[in-house]
Amino acid sequence: MKAGSLRNVGIMAALLIAPVAFALSAGGYEQRIMTLAGIYAIAVLGYQLIFGRLGALSLAQGSFFGIGAYTTGLLGIHLDWAFPASFLASLIIPAAIACIIAIPVLRLESHYFALATLGISQIALLVGVNWTEGTGGANGLYGVPPLRILGTALDSSEAMLVVVWCVLASAVLAFSCLVKGRAAHRLTLLREAPEAAVTAGIDIGARRLSLFVASAAFGGAAGALQAHSIGVVSPAVLEFQVMVSILAMTVIGGRGHPAGAILGAVLLVHLPEWFRFLEAHYLVAYGAALLVAVIIMPEGLAGLFRRWLVTQERWAPEPPRTSKPEVPTTLAVLHLVGLCKRYGGVVALDNVSITVVPGEILGLIGPNGSGKSTLINVASGLQTLDAGEIRLGNLDLTGMPAHGRARVGLSRTFQTPVQALGLSPLESVLAACPAGLDERRAERHAAACLSAAGLTAPAVPTTSLSPAEARRLDLARALASGPAVLLLDEPAAGLTPAERDDLACCLKHLTDSGLGLLLVDHTMDFLLPLADRVICLATGSVVAEGPPSMVARDPAAIAAYFGEPPP
Amino acid sequence: MGASIPQLLVNGVALGAAYALIALGFVLVINAVGVVMAGGFVAVTITEYLTPWANDNLPDLAFIGPRASAVGLGLVILPLTMVVMAVLGLLFSALAYAPLRHRPPVSVFISTIAVGLILQHGANAVFGPEPRVGPPLVVDGNFALGPITLSIQQLSVIFAAGCLITGTGLLLSRSQLGRQLRAVAQDPEMAEAIGISAGHCIAITFALAVALAGSAGMLLSNQFFVAPSDGGLFMLKAYIAVTVGGWGRLDGAAFAALLIGVFEVMMAAFVSYVMAEALLYAGVLLVLLVRPSGLLRETIQRRT
Repeated sequence: MKAGSLRNVGIMAALLIAPVAFALSAGGYEQRIMTLAGIYAIAVLGYQLIFGRLGALSLAQGSFFGIGAYTTGLLGIHLDWAFPASFLASLIIPAAIACIIAIPVLRLESHYFALATLGISQIALLVGVNWTEGTGGANGLYGVPPLRILGTALDSSEAMLVVVWCVLASAVLAFSCLVKGRAAHRLTLLREAPEAAVTAGIDIGARRLSLFVASAAFGGAAGALQAHSIGVVSPAVLEFQVMVSILAMTVIGGRGHPAGAILGAVLLVHLPEWFRFLEAHYLVAYGAALLVAVIIMPEGLAGLFRRWLVTQERWAPEPPRTSKPEVPTTLAVLHLVGLCKRYGGVVALDNVSITVVPGEILGLIGPNGSGKSTLINVASGLQTLDAGEIRLGNLDLTGMPAHGRARVGLSRTFQTPVQALGLSPLESVLAACPAGLDERRAERHAAACLSAAGLTAPAVPTTSLSPAEARRLDLARALASGPAVLLLDEPAAGLTPAERDDLACCLKHLTDSGLGLLLVDHTMDFLLPLADRVICLATGSVVAEGPPSMVARDPAAIAAYFGEPPP
Repeated sequence: MGASIPQLLVNGVALGAAYALIALGFVLVINAVGVVMAGGFVAVTITEYLTPWANDNLPDLAFIGPRASAVGLGLVILPLTMVVMAVLGLLFSALAYAPLRHRPPVSVFISTIAVGLILQHGANAVFGPEPRVGPPLVVDGNFALGPITLSIQQLSVIFAAGCLITGTGLLLSRSQLGRQLRAVAQDPEMAEAIGISAGHCIAITFALAVALAGSAGMLLSNQFFVAPSDGGLFMLKAYIAVTVGGWGRLDGAAFAALLIGVFEVMMAAFVSYVMAEALLYAGVLLVLLVRPSGLLRETIQRRT
């Protein structure tokens, strides 16, 4: 175990034990408050998965909490289910509901996702309040049986406190298992650079589904414990206030680290207690404290301890030097056949057919608006195709999602690369390595991709990369999935002549292993000497094709760039 | 329920028009800083305190005479409320937005909730929590149009809201200030580069947004028996209007707000209030299922 992780475990253990020890020594009232803090911390941990790690603003976490509470209440009161069984059901039922609502909801983007989850939580509240026979309506359910383990009822506040914080400890463990190593890097890449992530082969839908379902189970567990702890389930557990509390705890505590969940929950559950002496005005003070906390702690309470808390292993100072990537290049021909793409009335691509063979560099030129970027976008799957066919070797990629194309060997870089600033360069590339590699091989592979892309001084944070280095990192990430064909969107834009020569050398070298390159660029003195073949696009159609020297003299290509010569 | 269909329709449009005012404020702030001003509902809440208070005290202050004679007092209170709310909007911008302008939107989302809590409970402490009724805009009473009887208050609410919405639209499309606000909303850096102060424009946007929400609160305070704690529910409806109408579109938000108001009043009259709420949320989910980015297309297009 590395020193950083060991320290992490120590801090987490201290954070889990100290509040319990404090509450046990402080008496019954404090024990109940700390029990509530532990319960909220479990719900917040779940919320950190979907919101903190994946960046999806779900507003349904409070409802999963409420559904868990009602599940325990209903099963305990009506069916006499005892602790382990009813607790498991309180995990499974919210998770199952999450699975069902995931179908329409998870494909929505940002605020539409937030609204949809909000709508679902309002419906849950209406059911809770108005389904009088089942949920007891506005009165709620009374007499939820206390926790019972091995026949002993745990109805003292001490016992409840210890049980809740033990469940919290297991939740922290589960959290760490869900987001360890490369899984954590992939989530960061998805959150901070979603397009780069999906074109590196990361399946955003699968991640969202698994984390949404996991977050629901965490919320349900918290709700179940809440029902046991106060013995009553009222519609208040489904009110939006619960969601706002969870969101505030996540932001104040820190979004990504389990320590943040504990610190945020302990602080926010105690704040009203501390301001109780203000009587009617305590909510004013609560609001003010919340505002100050958001302003002075950009990364939450956990951010104050960032120096000691290691979320991810930082860049290793000396990457292992290997020249050979762990994933060999497969050889395959890319066929783009009859591609058509319209934006409203504008024809961006009109029946374009292009073939890239292994080991060649195919240059793609054309004036602005000729369809070059659209071609790369439809080929990599970021935009849908109106008509046409995309094949790699004998695989048909036409209907395949972007991440699928990357996994079978079609990769791309971006005109303006977006970097995940929360990751070191090595971690960015690690996130894009195929899932089949174990951690050691993945690390060797990532280092090899970085050196193949010519990023020679990678021991710096991603924030301080120069534009040229950022492009190199983008290239390394595209190489990590082991492509047969790589689509490069203006890789030399904004580079100095020296950096351009360097890049040309690096790209030439890449083709040695049989990698095919489709290279879009405007800079003729960069592209023409480098390319084996050149295609010129104008207003969505191929107007010239052939060896670089021929296309450079082709009247149609010249006309596309300079307009028709005077007669 | 006793109310005729035309009357219900007018009630629905009046409610929807008030939602539209809140939603317009949201859209302005969303376009300017990319954040849902979640605490903005406090503007509605505070006017629910402020307008009855003004109604009781303003005649005395201005020596107009006893309350009964103060016909049209609402017409004085409405602009006054909006001015007070605009100042509150500046406070919002200074406390909840300015210190966090380089932070992710969700931090601002939380900070507006925090400022909302402070203002709401501050007002609660000053005015007391019991719900009260505000003045009618012009005069109470009904207006007969052949066999149909319509409430004058509702008609004047629709008229006033219509004027405010049109005025906001004209301000944005025709005035130099509006052009500057839109420039900052589209590209703050470019706007600064041509000499527009993004900070000032954003503060003005907040002021305008909170003033609009406040006007909605004033218009609602007479008829809908709203308790100050209902502000959150209004903000929820406005949020639905903003999202369903196509994120960032003024016309879409106003249109969706009217639909929601009419739908709510009609369903509540013919089925039940609970069903109206449930069907509204179910309807929202259905809309998102069929059109994942709202009824109308978003105006903002991304580039790769």
